[in-house]
Amino acid sequence: MGLAVLLLAVMMLGACSSPSSSAKEQGKHVSFLYNFSTNSLDPHVDSSYVPIRAGITETLVRLDEDNLTVAPWLAESWEGTDGQNWKIHLRDDVTFHNGKPLTGDSVKASLERAMKESVAVKNALKIKSIQAEGNTLQIVTNQPFPEFISELVNPNTSIIDVTETDIVNKPVGTGPFQLASFTPGSKLEVKRYDSYWDGASPLDGVTFAFNEDANARSLALRSGQVDIVYRPEVESLDTLDAEPGIKVESTSTFRVHQLTMNMERPALQDVNVRRAMDALIDRQKIVDTILLGHGEAATGPFLPSLPFAPTYEPSPMGADAAVDYLQQAGYSLVNGQMQKDGKPLQLTLLTYPARADLPLIAQVFQSDAKKIGVGVEIRQIDTPEDYMAANRDWDLATYSNLTAPRGDAGYYLNATYHPDGALNFSGAEDPKLTAIIDQLNRTVQPEKRGVLAEKAADYVHENVINSFVLHPSTIVAYNEEKVKNWVTTRSEYYMITNKLDVM
Amino acid sequence: MGRILIRKFLETFGFVLFITFISFLFIRMAPGDPVLTILNVDELSVSQEQVEALREEMGFNQPLLVQYGQWLLDFVRLDFGQSYVTGQPVMKMIMGGLPATLELTGGALVIMLLIALPLGSLSALYRNSWIDQVSRLLSIIGAAIPSFWLGLILIDLFGVRLGWLPTMGRDGWISLLLPSLTLGLAISSVYVRLLRSSLLDSMGQEFVRAARARGYSEARIFWVHALRHSLPPVITVFGVSLGSLIGGVVVVEVLFAYPGIGKLVVDSIRQRDYPLIQGYILVMAALVFVVNTLVDLSYRYLNPEMKLKERKAG
Repeated sequence: MGLAVLLLAVMMLGACSSPSSSAKEQGKHVSFLYNFSTNSLDPHVDSSYVPIRAGITETLVRLDEDNLTVAPWLAESWEGTDGQNWKIHLRDDVTFHNGKPLTGDSVKASLERAMKESVAVKNALKIKSIQAEGNTLQIVTNQPFPEFISELVNPNTSIIDVTETDIVNKPVGTGPFQLASFTPGSKLEVKRYDSYWDGASPLDGVTFAFNEDANARSLALRSGQVDIVYRPEVESLDTLDAEPGIKVESTSTFRVHQLTMNMERPALQDVNVRRAMDALIDRQKIVDTILLGHGEAATGPFLPSLPFAPTYEPSPMGADAAVDYLQQAGYSLVNGQMQKDGKPLQLTLLTYPARADLPLIAQVFQSDAKKIGVGVEIRQIDTPEDYMAANRDWDLATYSNLTAPRGDAGYYLNATYHPDGALNFSGAEDPKLTAIIDQLNRTVQPEKRGVLAEKAADYVHENVINSFVLHPSTIVAYNEEKVKNWVTTRSEYYMITNKLDVM
Repeated sequence: MGRILIRKFLETFGFVLFITFISFLFIRMAPGDPVLTILNVDELSVSQEQVEALREEMGFNQPLLVQYGQWLLDFVRLDFGQSYVTGQPVMKMIMGGLPATLELTGGALVIMLLIALPLGSLSALYRNSWIDQVSRLLSIIGAAIPSFWLGLILIDLFGVRLGWLPTMGRDGWISLLLPSLTLGLAISSVYVRLLRSSLLDSMGQEFVRAARARGYSEARIFWVHALRHSLPPVITVFGVSLGSLIGGVVVVEVLFAYPGIGKLVVDSIRQRDYPLIQGYILVMAALVFVVNTLVDLSYRYLNPEMKLKERKAG
């Protein structure tokens, strides 16, 4: 009993110390509900990228959502013909939220802090030295590194005033909104920055709240507590869409769900077996039944709207095509089982629950394989990257990857197909493909890089090194009677912008 | 009294060391490490060399005992380390989330008491009557309903249909109502049944008969004698299950976006954020120790027999 009183007292104290609600609802205000939560707003470390998404910080360059190319942002222009010595010209009309102007020195300090705080950023930028002169930066990379500029799209390279003391709780950036308050793990309030260089927002403020439960997010929109929800519950989308005033929008992302093929396994070393696996994946059925239509069937790794995504010739698909390929590989149907030299074709398929679609895709594949006499054993694992790297006792794996998160193919091709890449789980060590990627790594000009990326994607497709299932969509639902100019971006980096408005 | 506390503290200290060691071993033996998370391989190009270099640098290739020794050395210096993922001091992160979780647990407790005390007492006093049957039915339902579902139902009712209560975040006591109710309803069913059987047991004791013989009123017998005597078993169960209660709030925390430590630790386990996991276990162990000590002390107040025995022995 005494304990209960004690806890009650603690509770009261806590309740008294938290700020009282409903103080803000004056003026033009939008409430946004996001599907991740964060305890830190440090733009250089926080992997949920909330500072850039909430419109607090900006990067030197951004992804142009229309053309899917790298576009100027805080940087006005850049030069770097040899891929190693870069000259970046900054805009001269940008100020931080504390009024200080953006200069070469402040950008240098910000990039240096990002590299110091995050080993991931340090690895990604490969910067050897930075020199600042007025509004110009001279950057030298450790090696010729043509995708350097596109790496600056990374939200963890956001430019902030590093002389501010509490970067974890109050980063000071250059975006259209400045931070008003932050409750770790719960929400942040931002207010308009009047001197924003690209035109101040028409809104007075935005609440950027977190909720990691999809059902709760949908309900929050229906109850009117929030105006925009990111990734509402897919199962209840019809109910949501039917509600008057609520609009559901979906856009394909740069992510691809793929079937990774372990090329070190004897059966899969035969390209015809890999083709059979590829033909077996009923992509449209998977999109329609598992994602309820909120996705796009994939042929290759890159979203078709990307400039370097190849156009593919339709190849034979379905169970009959799969049987044909297997027969070409020397398999025949004996007692309902596909066999070669008396050995049945039995495959182990890895999947993991962190992405809920993947185990379902694995099940669809298993059942389709069974129909043509191919045995598939599904194995659930917990940490896919570690498991796939450490164990080679599997044949196929469902996996999900961002293929061009910053508008450049270099990341995905290097990580997944270069023998040295950290995500090369198929064990691809194809000299021809490696040569294309190496050439890509030396090529600076965007058009030429595009040609090489396309060539690599074509090579992957022809040789069926991995098979691609679908590009899942980002779904956003919002109150269309209130919210104006909401754009669901494919990069998912830019959410609260200076264009967002209310009716 | 002081001696008991000191002995208890030493015992607990040894126990906490043991727990940190076991948890250290288990979490490191689980497949995976935080290297890939730190390098953000899902979005950034990383070579196998870089992965290995970081693994080496962070000491994950060293023998487990050496790694534990290092952690222990830091721990003795009261350095709990920094989260691998956010780079923030572990204790700061835990202490940032702990008040919210305690609030939630406290709120759930109040709800639980508000339900369990009257319902448990009435079912004992009017055994096998309609109220006993109803409370039995409610207990079964309460034990069978998963809290995430109950939470969604409450959100739908109070948030969407009635629009009375906020369903998210931590803005004063009003935002505490729904999550506390969800959690409190879920745990109260156990205590209703427990209090009832414990009360029935007390009511059959000799001291109750003696009290009746002296002509005390039924109300006085119930409030002063029987209820007090029936509390220790209930409190014991409570003391033992508080640790799991605090650990189990995670579902409710996620659903109501209540920024507590349950959520924090589940994420840290997924990301293999070792220092944070160790820090959490340490704080939890300390908390459970405090609660159990309070529970032990409460026996002395609730059951005078113990104090008498101690005096005799001492």
